[in-house]
Amino acid sequence: MTTDRWVTFSRRGAAEAVHLKGEIDLANAHDIGRAIVARITLAEAVLIDLTAVSFLDSAGVRLLDVIVGELDQRGKPIRLVVGERGPARMTLQLCAFRNDLFAADLDRAAAELGG
Amino acid sequence: MSESGGPDVTQELRLPWDDDPEELYEHAPCGYLTSLPDGTVVRVNQTFLTWTGYARSDLIGHRRFRDLLTPGDQIYHETHYAPLLVMQGEVHEIALEVVRADGRRVPVLVNSVLERNQGGAPRLIRTMIFNASERRGYEKELLAARHTAEAAERRIRALQRIVADLAAAPSEAEVAEAVVRAPEAAFEATSSSIYLVDAERDQLVAVASTDPTTGNWDDMPRSSARAVAEVARRGDLHVVGDLADAAEHFPDLAETMTRSGRQTVVLLPLTTGPADEQPGITVLGLLAFSFARRRVLTDGELRMIRLLGQQAGQALDRARLYDELGRREERASFLAATTRALEAEHRLLQRSRRLVERVVPEIADWATVRLHVGPAGLREDAGGPAPAEDLLDARIAEATRSVTPVFATGGDRLDCTVLPLTASGKVLGTLSLRMAADRRGAEAERAFLADLADRAGLALENARLYEQERAIARSLQRSLLATDVPAGDPRFALETHYQAAGRDLEVGGDWFDAFLITGRKLAVVVGDVVGRGLEAASTMGQLRSAIRALATSDNGPARLLEGLDRFCQRVESARMATVVYAEIDLDGCELVYACAGHLPPLLHQPAGPAEFLLRGRSGPIGTRAGDRRRTEHRVTLTPGSRLLLYTDGLIERRDRPVDRGFEVLGREFSRLRGAPLKGLAAALADTMVGREHGDDVCLLCLTLGAEERLERTLGADPLQIALLRSDMRAWLLGHGVDTACLNAVLLACSEAVADAIEHGYRDDPFGVVDVSATVTADAVEIRVADHGSWRGPEQARGSGRRLIEESMDEVLFDRGDGTTVTMRRRRGHAR
Repeated sequence: MTTDRWVTFSRRGAAEAVHLKGEIDLANAHDIGRAIVARITLAEAVLIDLTAVSFLDSAGVRLLDVIVGELDQRGKPIRLVVGERGPARMTLQLCAFRNDLFAADLDRAAAELGG
Repeated sequence: MSESGGPDVTQELRLPWDDDPEELYEHAPCGYLTSLPDGTVVRVNQTFLTWTGYARSDLIGHRRFRDLLTPGDQIYHETHYAPLLVMQGEVHEIALEVVRADGRRVPVLVNSVLERNQGGAPRLIRTMIFNASERRGYEKELLAARHTAEAAERRIRALQRIVADLAAAPSEAEVAEAVVRAPEAAFEATSSSIYLVDAERDQLVAVASTDPTTGNWDDMPRSSARAVAEVARRGDLHVVGDLADAAEHFPDLAETMTRSGRQTVVLLPLTTGPADEQPGITVLGLLAFSFARRRVLTDGELRMIRLLGQQAGQALDRARLYDELGRREERASFLAATTRALEAEHRLLQRSRRLVERVVPEIADWATVRLHVGPAGLREDAGGPAPAEDLLDARIAEATRSVTPVFATGGDRLDCTVLPLTASGKVLGTLSLRMAADRRGAEAERAFLADLADRAGLALENARLYEQERAIARSLQRSLLATDVPAGDPRFALETHYQAAGRDLEVGGDWFDAFLITGRKLAVVVGDVVGRGLEAASTMGQLRSAIRALATSDNGPARLLEGLDRFCQRVESARMATVVYAEIDLDGCELVYACAGHLPPLLHQPAGPAEFLLRGRSGPIGTRAGDRRRTEHRVTLTPGSRLLLYTDGLIERRDRPVDRGFEVLGREFSRLRGAPLKGLAAALADTMVGREHGDDVCLLCLTLGAEERLERTLGADPLQIALLRSDMRAWLLGHGVDTACLNAVLLACSEAVADAIEHGYRDDPFGVVDVSATVTADAVEIRVADHGSWRGPEQARGSGRRLIEESMDEVLFDRGDGTTVTMRRRRGHAR
């Protein structure tokens, strides 16, 4: 399945930015995960932009958990950009993700990681 | 022998013809023999002795008659002569040969009589012998004459057969085959060969021989000094009697004759034109035949040989005309078949492909079409090997610049012909090809290629125009259909689907539309314009706008159709379009509809099965034969009703009658009652017509009002969860549920369904999940039930379960037959 509808990539300074969009659930989380992992394996820093996500379920949460875990292990920084409100933020907060992972603004997060 | 006994007084007075009997016996004009029954000669006359050279004493008492015969005749005497004589008492005109004393033979005819004594026993044999020397001579002459006549007849018959073969030979090659066999059959020639004139190349070409080990087989110019060319130029029969004769006039022939052991050679030009008039004749070939032994040909034979030359020449002439006619016919039918083959494809790429596939291998071993279309151009190749690219590019550039064909010439390194493909004076591209080597008649071939290029150019230009129109029509249609239908209104939800024909057809004239006439009145339309392509697409656009303009709060469906009838008096292409048009009072829950020649809408109210709305019918727009009294019909709807409008592509399938199509559609629509609205139209189209359908399909499905209770049944497929969320989001919005509550309910419901699919139905792809939801003034309640078996470890469901529990206020898991999750969330509850 092509995942371009849900995930695109860009560079923000040293960081690899992953832009997620639309509804992420059991049906597409696996494929999206593979697309992201293929792209960030060698990244120095990763930004995951969830501001355009209209729905995020536990499959999406598991996916993000795996990615965060791997980067932590490699000692590379990662930020999840979730905005002030929205379904993604709600789901992640319900799952009690660490507060230091969240960023409200993509540019600011990029500057943080770049510095 | 005297009859009287008195003295012979007449002796002196004997008349000259009054022969003495003894004298008569001795000198009779035939031989007389008397022999005993065993054949021993006892008396013989002088005539016999004179003929045979024997002395009387040699024979009498010493020899038997049979001893005087040749050995062959002795046997004949024993086996025929003697038995016949004994049986019949006499034999007549027996032809025998007597051996003379000097050993030479005298042919004779023999008559014999057997005399018997009174007891019947053989007493003696009297034999009369006629000299048959001269008669035998005549006979021999006659026989020889007969042999000669027979030979002549055989020759004539052989020639007749050859002439018949020639008449039946349809091609030059077959004529040559028949002619080359003639000299052996008719004149006992040892071998023969045939050469044909190739006028275009000004050469003589050896084409057939009965003994290819002889002769020189190189093609030669007609001006060559070789004997064959020389005689062909003269146009008259030439006989080379012997080697000396050849050495004097034609050294090349003498050399060949020596090498292949021939003594006599005949060189016969094959001619056509007036017989015996040297200047008027045309030489088409030459037949050379030779004899291992020296052969003198009689005048009769020479006449016949000349005749053969004329007959063969005429047959060649006929065959050449026939061949030319055949080739012309072949080219004409190739062109016709190519035109037909190209017409069978509409698209430019496919047409170009067809063109090179027609050309290779039929007339060329390699071909390429290059067209100047699009940014990259178009290129189709067939056959091989491809020629040098740089040389080809140069020639293509030349042909394109000059707008004239560049033909391959002899000794040309590229050996390819490049034909510009033009249409209305513009060069569209080129067709390059390498012709098969054996194609002759360059002039005719060039005219043929020019014709081919003309036809191909026209066909490809048409395909290009078609392609252009198709692209415009598609984008026009897409832009018209893509206009947003109203959404986000809690009072209704719309789902549309357009599926283009599976085969590579032009765009159709199907369309759908939905718009709000006033705040409380929604209009929905599905229609179908006659025809396909750009015109159908633009007519569809015009009709669509006309309907939007005519739909007012005062006009109902019937009056709107009347307006369309008037409209099509100005827009003729809209005539006979079919339309179903409905207006829905969103607050009053009332439907008014009218069908102008269109298929009936299908309505499914929450209670009961789906039904076709068969009232409010009249003829197509602008119909002349149909009923133009426009009527409409009114139906009251219950919230949650679903209405389906569609075009005929949905139910018309070649392998299914239309009434059966209605039946299947009604059943499928009812069956999908519980399915989420989103994706419903596409699912229906998929079930009804499949992917490989021959017509466009256009669907519009409307769900009216927020159902009191949302009930859905999902297959065990993760993709279904998103569809459910879409329905549920609309339903929650319809009931004015606040965003936080809405997001929480969607999350919990998704998790519960995902859980059922992932764990409850991990081994059952056909399992179903039932979802029901109700809204009260202060809360939303959801129930998700599956009938699966519980397999997964508790741990695996951790995060999903936790999300459900975190986002809902009350959650109850009940594991009986499958799992049922009941969840409740308070409204307007800020968390």
